[in-house]
Amino acid sequence: MTKIIPTSQITPEAIYLSRRRFLKQALLTTPASLLVASCANRDSASPTPNPVFAAFASRTDDQNNPLTDFEDITGYTNFYEFSTSKTEPTNLSKNFQTEPWKVKIDGFVNNPITLDIDDFRSMFDQEERIYRMRCVEAWSMVIPWIGFPLKKILDIVEPTSDAKYIRFETLYDPNQMPGQNNPSFPWPYVEGLRLDEAMHDLTILSTGLYGKNLTPQNGAPIRLVVPWKYGFKSIKSIVHIELVREMPTSLWMAAGPTEYGFYANVNPNVDHPRWSQATERRIGETGRIDTQMFNGYTEEVAHLYEGMDLTKNY
Amino acid sequence: MKITKIQILGNLIGVIPAIYLMYQSISGKLSANPIQTATVITGRTSIYAILFSLYCTPLAQIFKLSVFHRIRKISGLFGFYYAFAHFLMFTLFDYQLNLSWILPEIQQKPFLQIGLIALVALIPLAISSIDIFKRKMGKSWKKLHYAVYLITALTLLHVALASKGDLIDPAILITLYLIAMLFRFPKLRSLRINKLPEWLARINTYLLS
Repeated sequence: MTKIIPTSQITPEAIYLSRRRFLKQALLTTPASLLVASCANRDSASPTPNPVFAAFASRTDDQNNPLTDFEDITGYTNFYEFSTSKTEPTNLSKNFQTEPWKVKIDGFVNNPITLDIDDFRSMFDQEERIYRMRCVEAWSMVIPWIGFPLKKILDIVEPTSDAKYIRFETLYDPNQMPGQNNPSFPWPYVEGLRLDEAMHDLTILSTGLYGKNLTPQNGAPIRLVVPWKYGFKSIKSIVHIELVREMPTSLWMAAGPTEYGFYANVNPNVDHPRWSQATERRIGETGRIDTQMFNGYTEEVAHLYEGMDLTKNY
Repeated sequence: MKITKIQILGNLIGVIPAIYLMYQSISGKLSANPIQTATVITGRTSIYAILFSLYCTPLAQIFKLSVFHRIRKISGLFGFYYAFAHFLMFTLFDYQLNLSWILPEIQQKPFLQIGLIALVALIPLAISSIDIFKRKMGKSWKKLHYAVYLITALTLLHVALASKGDLIDPAILITLYLIAMLFRFPKLRSLRINKLPEWLARINTYLLS
């Protein structure tokens, strides 16, 4: 199982910044970096303390992959509510209001509730989870999330026997989120999980990363993280969680039914018409690496899909 | 042969995206995913250049600005250069010439096949743009270069299929293409303005010198 680390052990910023130096050295030794030297030179001006490689080495995911840089995680995002560009959401979401923020949790439950963002932080122990995040566009990151298992909320609201799926909805507010004026997509953003997927220990609601509160472009103030599924399943800036009987239709299922299915499990054997699902680029590295089944979480989650044809249930 | 100002200007404008790309790359401003971003930028530049080349003849004829005749070839050639750079970004930098990765990709993805066909089809056009060939080929040169209408359509199909759900961007490019094509029909093709403003005429003459 994934290692759970208390918030107190989260790396000070100075240490993860030092990793950039390490990367720079690594990159300068590859031929491709001669042309694409961006990762190497980006922070050459920033003063960083001597690399603390020993402490650094401990900040990896369960497969010993180093963390993706904070600047990359917060500077390269898919958040179509702001823009279809990867770098624009950072600027466009600067003034995004995340307080007050209420999340309604209802549907087929015994105890519907509405929680304030502070309630989430005070009611549930915030843990660090270092997960790989694999975007459907064939790039990936290793992200130290702060959050808590979704199951803890479900235990409080108590889904009834009618609850088979869970449906999430992002804030709809075109004044704050200009991308929601783009008529190409059926807003608001909706995602869903099967109840057993939602109850799985790897599934978390995240309120932060790298020891800090989430930035708006990363889905502040609260988002879902499901590490064995493509990134778009991990819905951002959630305002409504509803326990439902029927399989919810996500925004991407509605926008491109032949391309995006409900499950969207990371699967190198099921191809996508645009991006290779067999390989991926880890952000911060130049080459490509093989994509792993269930994003490397097979041991934890494969049993959820026993007997299912994953080619059909993509 | 004398090198005109418009040729110098055209070539300068043509290398701006390449210089921008190199500068951004070296200073680390090409996003967290520089290879992907560079692939997109080279591809887009190619499309803009090819679309612009389709507007050259109508602009030259309607406004009697012969300078656009002179820049058409440069613009088309840059369209080809950037398409080729786009191809290199994909094969060399992204997939590191690993055929066991690249070949299945091309096999599985129609948008890659279409893009590849468009690129290969541009090669004879680029080669025959050399003046000697153009003179030797006579009428068949024109016929060959009509192919650019189809190649542009293929390129736009490549873009539309590669777009992730966003319909606006491909729609804008396709509209620009269709407008350019409208000017191939006799009625619009024969449009002429009566008199060219003096200052425009002067710029035209200046750039051709």
